[in-house]
Amino acid sequence: MQITFWGVRGSYPVPGAATVRYGGQTSCVEVRAAGGETVIVDAGTGMRALGNKLLREATRPQHYHVLLSHVHWDHIQGLPFFSPAYIAGTRISIHALLTAADELHQVIGGITRHEFFPMSLEAVPAQFEFHQVEPGVELDLGPFHVMPIALNHPFGAVGYRIDGDGSSWAYIADTAPFDRVLHKQHFLAGPEVLTDDDRIALEAMRDALVRRLEGVDTVVYDTHFTEDEYRRFPHYGHSTPDQALEICVAAKVRRLVLYHHAPSHGDDQMDRIAEEALRKGATMGVEVLTSFEGMSLPIGPDADAEAGGAAAAATGASSDAGKGQP
Amino acid sequence: MKLRFWGVRGSCATPGREFLRYGGNTPSVELVTDAGQRLLIDLGTGATELAKQLMGAEFGAGKGALPILLTHTHLDHIQGLPFFTPFFIKGNEIRILGANPTSGSSLEATLQNQLSPHYSPLSGLENLAAGVSIETITAGQAIAVPGFEILTAPVPHGSMWTTAYRITADGKTVAYLSDVEYPSVDEPLPAAVELASGADLLIHDAMHADHDYDLRRGWGHSPARAGVVVAEQAGAKKLALFHHSPDATDDMIDEVVARTAGRTAVPVFAAAEGSYLDI
Repeated sequence: MQITFWGVRGSYPVPGAATVRYGGQTSCVEVRAAGGETVIVDAGTGMRALGNKLLREATRPQHYHVLLSHVHWDHIQGLPFFSPAYIAGTRISIHALLTAADELHQVIGGITRHEFFPMSLEAVPAQFEFHQVEPGVELDLGPFHVMPIALNHPFGAVGYRIDGDGSSWAYIADTAPFDRVLHKQHFLAGPEVLTDDDRIALEAMRDALVRRLEGVDTVVYDTHFTEDEYRRFPHYGHSTPDQALEICVAAKVRRLVLYHHAPSHGDDQMDRIAEEALRKGATMGVEVLTSFEGMSLPIGPDADAEAGGAAAAATGASSDAGKGQP
Repeated sequence: MKLRFWGVRGSCATPGREFLRYGGNTPSVELVTDAGQRLLIDLGTGATELAKQLMGAEFGAGKGALPILLTHTHLDHIQGLPFFTPFFIKGNEIRILGANPTSGSSLEATLQNQLSPHYSPLSGLENLAAGVSIETITAGQAIAVPGFEILTAPVPHGSMWTTAYRITADGKTVAYLSDVEYPSVDEPLPAAVELASGADLLIHDAMHADHDYDLRRGWGHSPARAGVVVAEQAGAKKLALFHHSPDATDDMIDEVVARTAGRTAVPVFAAAEGSYLDI
């Protein structure tokens, strides 16, 4: 199994000289099994380039499974630019959590309503199918065994543990940590005082996450914030590298990948964040990589040699662009 | 009057090395009068960069006032809204002016929908701390914004209409015609020509290179030469090619400019993110 990062940024796409090495596209990861089967996790702006690549590779229309963590814009706005959707015969199955009462097809279809986009998803040639996921209810997609995991994010989000080819990894974005704020179905202007029930709910969510992550080879985690930024915005629904490391240590995860970088974090700051997390992780027995656009990561113990090379590059030792380094 | 391009890209933002010179942010253009009155056109991702600058001044203290004109509500023209930080500061007064979408939905309902709890943690315009007024205009009418005289016209954009603007201040005029496609490139809409009449600067949709246009006719965007035709018929003094295709790299845009400039006496350039113009 191999994962490739097509978008690593959070909130909104960030073009410009400051993001050329780590990349400016929003959340999108391609998962590929040894047999070539592909699943896409999140449909941020990175999905456009992924779609163009998939279209070049495909000899006939394909069936794509897309697992969405949630439907905030930065995780879905690549969908209308996914070029295979414009090819007749293509099937696109969207799997997503929906916490409100609306129908999933209406919510996803809503991003291409006439006011927002010139062509509706109903009108494109591809056939769309919509499946709601529930935390703890597993699904099998070809060679991939998928476990949705509840996360702590405004109006709800799920992470995914994905097992396949005898190995496993997990996608944990977007989530806040599990101590200070419990995200529910309402807008938070700031952190609210936690009730006893809230604390119990947070603890249960954290325990379930740690339990699901046990034995996972690689965890890709929302590390949007620095510690200082988190202190200022604890109610925004995102975590820090330290918070991600804490979960990975508890779950005895081998390798952590920093992901969902804040739009304000330019390449030089990302180098510093990557280096500090790598150093901290080493003292805790967790290998830390920092995702960048274009990074491909083989999953599983067999992949150690290649992953070691990526880790060295992720320290920012080189500023040259190219495969295997930010 | 000064103008700054904060976003010049159409459809979707284009991070990457091939887009650094012209920029990858989606449309947002700032106009400032000699007296310091400010106006923004469109709220694409480029607006997030302007926001950082505004927050360093009166908007950071909750004392800013800003009118924003929207051409339409396709996502590339509004996707900076949830990240435009002056909205998060109490005391700022921000007006959003635009026509109702052609679909029949209202401007306000559309922006509410953009910020719905599904799509955005802000979960509604009412949660923006600044004072926000959504003002529906009728394309074709003049509108009042302090420091600026503004005329508008509806222009065709695929199956819908967008609003084009003619903005005059300090005796100078800028015409903004983004997201427009005329039934015939050689015969632009008279209303578009009239809006750009004698303009010191015409900013025009140039999504497609002329040689790519035949395959993309009817998609709602113009080839580069459409702006030339409007500029020549309107007697505009300068033409800025705008709303560059997300597939157009810096080198490709250079080529389009060279080819377009070679066929007209009107000075032509491609709008580039971050550039200031003294109008």
